Amino acid sequence: MAKVFSSFHVENFCFTRKLTILPNSPHFQKWVPNIFSRIEPRNHLFELRSSNGYPLNAVSLQDEGSAANPLVQEVDFPEFEKGDSTLSITVVGASGDLAKKKIFPALFALYYEDCLPENFVVFGYARTKMKDEELRNMISRTLTCRIDKRENCGDKMEQFLKRCFYHSGQYNSEEHFAELNCKLKEKEGGKLSNRLFYLSIPPNIFVDVVRCASTKASSTTGWTRVIVEKPFGRDSESSSELTRCLKQYLNEDQIFRIDHYLGKELVENLSVLRFSNLVFEPLWSRNYIRNVQFIFSEDFGTEGRGGYFDHYGIIRDIMQNHLLQILALFAMETPVSMDAEDIRNEKVKVLRSMKPLQLEDVIVGQYKGHKKGDKLYPGYTDDPTVPNDSVTPTFAAAALFINNARWDGVPFLMKAGKALHTKGAEIRVQFRHVPGNLYKRNFGTDLDKATNELVLRVQPDEAIYLKINNKVPGLGMRLDRSDLNLLYKARYTREIPDAYERLLLDAVEGERRLFIRSDELDAAWALFTPLLKELEERKIAPELYPYGSRGPVGAYYLAAKHNVRWGDLTGEE
Amino acid sequence: MPAIEDEAPLKNLKEGSSLVTPPKEHKKSNDNDDKSTVSITVVGASGDLAKKKIFPALFALYYEDCLPKHFTIFGYARSKMTDAELRNMVRKTLTCRIDKRENCGEKMEEFLSRCFYQSGQYDSEENFEELDKKLKEHETGRVSNRLFYLSIPPNIFVNAVKCATLSATSANGWTRVIVEKPFGRDSESSAALTSALKQYLEEDQIFRIDHYLGKELIENLSVLRFSNLIFEPLWSRQYIRNVQLIFSEDFGTEGRGGYFDHYGIIRDIMQNHLLQILAIFAMETPVSLDAEDIRNEKVKVLRSMMPLRADDVVIGQYKSHTKGGVSYPGYTDDKTVPKDSLTPTFAAAALFINNARWDGVPFLMKAGKALHNRRAEIRVQFRHVPGNLYNRSFGTDLDRATNELVIRVQPDEAIYLKINNKVPGLGMRLDRSNLNLLYKARYSKEIPCAYERLLLDAIEGERRLFIRSDELDAAWSLFTPLLKELDEKKIIPEYYPYGSRGPVGAHYLAAKYNVKWGDLGVEE
Repeated sequence: MAKVFSSFHVENFCFTRKLTILPNSPHFQKWVPNIFSRIEPRNHLFELRSSNGYPLNAVSLQDEGSAANPLVQEVDFPEFEKGDSTLSITVVGASGDLAKKKIFPALFALYYEDCLPENFVVFGYARTKMKDEELRNMISRTLTCRIDKRENCGDKMEQFLKRCFYHSGQYNSEEHFAELNCKLKEKEGGKLSNRLFYLSIPPNIFVDVVRCASTKASSTTGWTRVIVEKPFGRDSESSSELTRCLKQYLNEDQIFRIDHYLGKELVENLSVLRFSNLVFEPLWSRNYIRNVQFIFSEDFGTEGRGGYFDHYGIIRDIMQNHLLQILALFAMETPVSMDAEDIRNEKVKVLRSMKPLQLEDVIVGQYKGHKKGDKLYPGYTDDPTVPNDSVTPTFAAAALFINNARWDGVPFLMKAGKALHTKGAEIRVQFRHVPGNLYKRNFGTDLDKATNELVLRVQPDEAIYLKINNKVPGLGMRLDRSDLNLLYKARYTREIPDAYERLLLDAVEGERRLFIRSDELDAAWALFTPLLKELEERKIAPELYPYGSRGPVGAYYLAAKHNVRWGDLTGEE
Repeated sequence: MPAIEDEAPLKNLKEGSSLVTPPKEHKKSNDNDDKSTVSITVVGASGDLAKKKIFPALFALYYEDCLPKHFTIFGYARSKMTDAELRNMVRKTLTCRIDKRENCGEKMEEFLSRCFYQSGQYDSEENFEELDKKLKEHETGRVSNRLFYLSIPPNIFVNAVKCATLSATSANGWTRVIVEKPFGRDSESSAALTSALKQYLEEDQIFRIDHYLGKELIENLSVLRFSNLIFEPLWSRQYIRNVQLIFSEDFGTEGRGGYFDHYGIIRDIMQNHLLQILAIFAMETPVSLDAEDIRNEKVKVLRSMMPLRADDVVIGQYKSHTKGGVSYPGYTDDKTVPKDSLTPTFAAAALFINNARWDGVPFLMKAGKALHNRRAEIRVQFRHVPGNLYNRSFGTDLDRATNELVIRVQPDEAIYLKINNKVPGLGMRLDRSNLNLLYKARYSKEIPCAYERLLLDAIEGERRLFIRSDELDAAWSLFTPLLKELDEKKIIPEYYPYGSRGPVGAHYLAAKYNVKWGDLGVEE
């Protein structure tokens, strides 16, 4: 994918949630391009709320700009000189896969785009003995330059690696964290210090690390924040236990629970689409929407790495977090503002308006071995890391309902599975049929086939399209569904940043919109815990489906029960 | 009920993906086919329209098996010509559809063997009697249906109709007459024409063609609106801020301004094509898709409108312009146009519909010759989002951030909806993107010419796309006072250079109603 990149975008890539000014306004002289200052104390004159940084007095360029050239230039007003503060990012579990594949590359991308503050250091922390040099070697192998701007990439990479250091230590040793603290202080050189810990470690040592880090390596002058990734427990009890333990050492606003699906471009765009387009606003309710589908599929299985997965299963791994979060964003009422707390308040309201899942509204499946051509695809239990009698679901479909005025009676269907025939994640909104349709005769007897559908494809090949009924060109009157569509690849030449970049940047900036609050987490678990317990206690056998198939047929019956057709399995796609 | 809809079967729906399937629903399979004939007489067969549009459209219909089994085509004009000469003339203009060349030569010959010629005066009953004899010969005693296509200047409409009906009406089948604009110059002349025609014809024999109504996307307008739930709640003053109907040509009269100068752009484009589209766009849901139901709703729209006032109209005329060594002539440089002509070649107008659905929504029309591009489109601009959460991301001009639905009728048929979208990347910058459907990319089938559809409808007696007398009256009564005022006061048009975007007055007119022309935005 060759990309073209306008220089304008490069310069302003990350200065977007900020103040917009006319270039010829008196403030212009104060604009210092490429200064990163959002993590520093702000100029309160221009701030509405510290949590999202929207200025009160935004003005715009009236006379310039078009679809291709952004209307506004965004700048910020640093009150402090740069160099006043430092940021240390410690990746705990630096030798792990996630760190290598996602976190370090994301940090480099942010650095490359000038989104990190001037003074920053990156520390790797793990048990392995390693020198700084070795860490750098390890990282440098995983870094890639954005395809669209190769210039200086080598230089930039060297500069970035120079700021990476390593400290080895046990995850439960306060002593070792105290050593880390000394090293951090050294690098901070007495400046205001902000510290971000990224816990890229197994969940059973979360609490130990948080204890050691917060007691021994908290910043004394600036903020200390901790990013944790799923799993956040296995059920309501273990989750609230984890939250309680974390809260012994951290305040709510120091905990950043990442759900990397919320950092996906189209999930971010969901609210934009809904709240900034008049054409969607009247449609967003039970009056017009017949059902909503959240679909996630992978075209591979556990492939020898099923140990972790077998303990959790697809419902915990995908549904309870990623799909449910997207559902909440989709269905929430209009928030008071786009501030993190306002959005999360609305999301919690959605979750709390839902009833816990019932067993009869869920289908579970597990893939079995399948031979296709000469190739043999292994079943889930063929994986040596999975017990032979495992009943862990690798596929699940569920119907959920929101009991509020907007959504009463509208089925929200979820489907997630491994080892299916495609790979993708999408949201499908199916609309009701046209009352008193004048063109009834042109559709035949099945009016449901002729309804509109809005599809947001989150991955791969990000796209938005709206299926409409259209006349087939030609004499006569034959109707057909066509798409009004927007394929991101075709419209936007810029590479879409990885979800981790966005989330890391938000954590650095203290923007909590895309992170999960404790009460959200509780509400999410409350919906799924009874079901999960029942599945496990009764050892409910999953419906087996062949590797690479469309999943168990039970999913069709579940959908049919609620008068829904899966939009991804119509034959049209 | 017309055959089209009755016979669109379930089967066709299932074949939805096979787009090249010929529209079988037009094949006549009933027994009547054998017992009846259709004779199509093109009056004015040697004219331009006949050669360029009518004969090719008839051939395309024949090629697609849409014509009845027994049909003959007669050319009628004053020039002396033999059948073979007519066939040669027609042959030169016929082309085969790009998507199915097979048998084309054969088909063409078969078609030509059914074409005949009769020369005669347009006002001679005698000559039409001769035609009648020849027609009878070909009809060989079957039930005879006769369609006359008047491709002649308006001043001889009535004579031709008189002679045709008195001497060449079918004795046992139907007789229909297709007439093309101009239908008069104002309310009075139009009413006079109608009453003259009605001396010889019943209302249901008159097929007034407005070929814009035969365009694919105009046909699709009702489909879009009435078969998609998502558009239904949006179609009113509550959500729509304004509607724009835009027509532009990128060439002038080019030495053929004689006819045009007598009518001007308002009569030539606005009062008929654009107003018809407006009526279809704005009408209430009809009881059914039957012609009378649709036309009833259209008349209601026209009758809910106030006649245009001069201060809601801007007129312009193109002047010569030199660009890169090439000099483009002004309108009055055309030898066929009087030097002091004030005939508008451009006009923009604001219209309002005083009913519950559209009260206060400006409907803007714009039509012009010798502009910078060639297009016809409908633009629907929606209101801005009340209490928009993303206000700050748009700057102060919320009007720039509204949704817009564009239906491009020509060239490159397309439908697209402008939506606000997040620019991919870190941060939150919004941008307008299109949700779009480009016909060329979606449908591989060639889109039929408007004349094919209309001729076929006339043969089948489907009147949906033809203009009824009361519609015509209502349309004229909206424009006549304005046209008279322009003529009487000799209002001078604003000059604009050939190939430009038209007079700036159009912007001020739009601004008066708080509208921005969608086609002149930076984005397009």
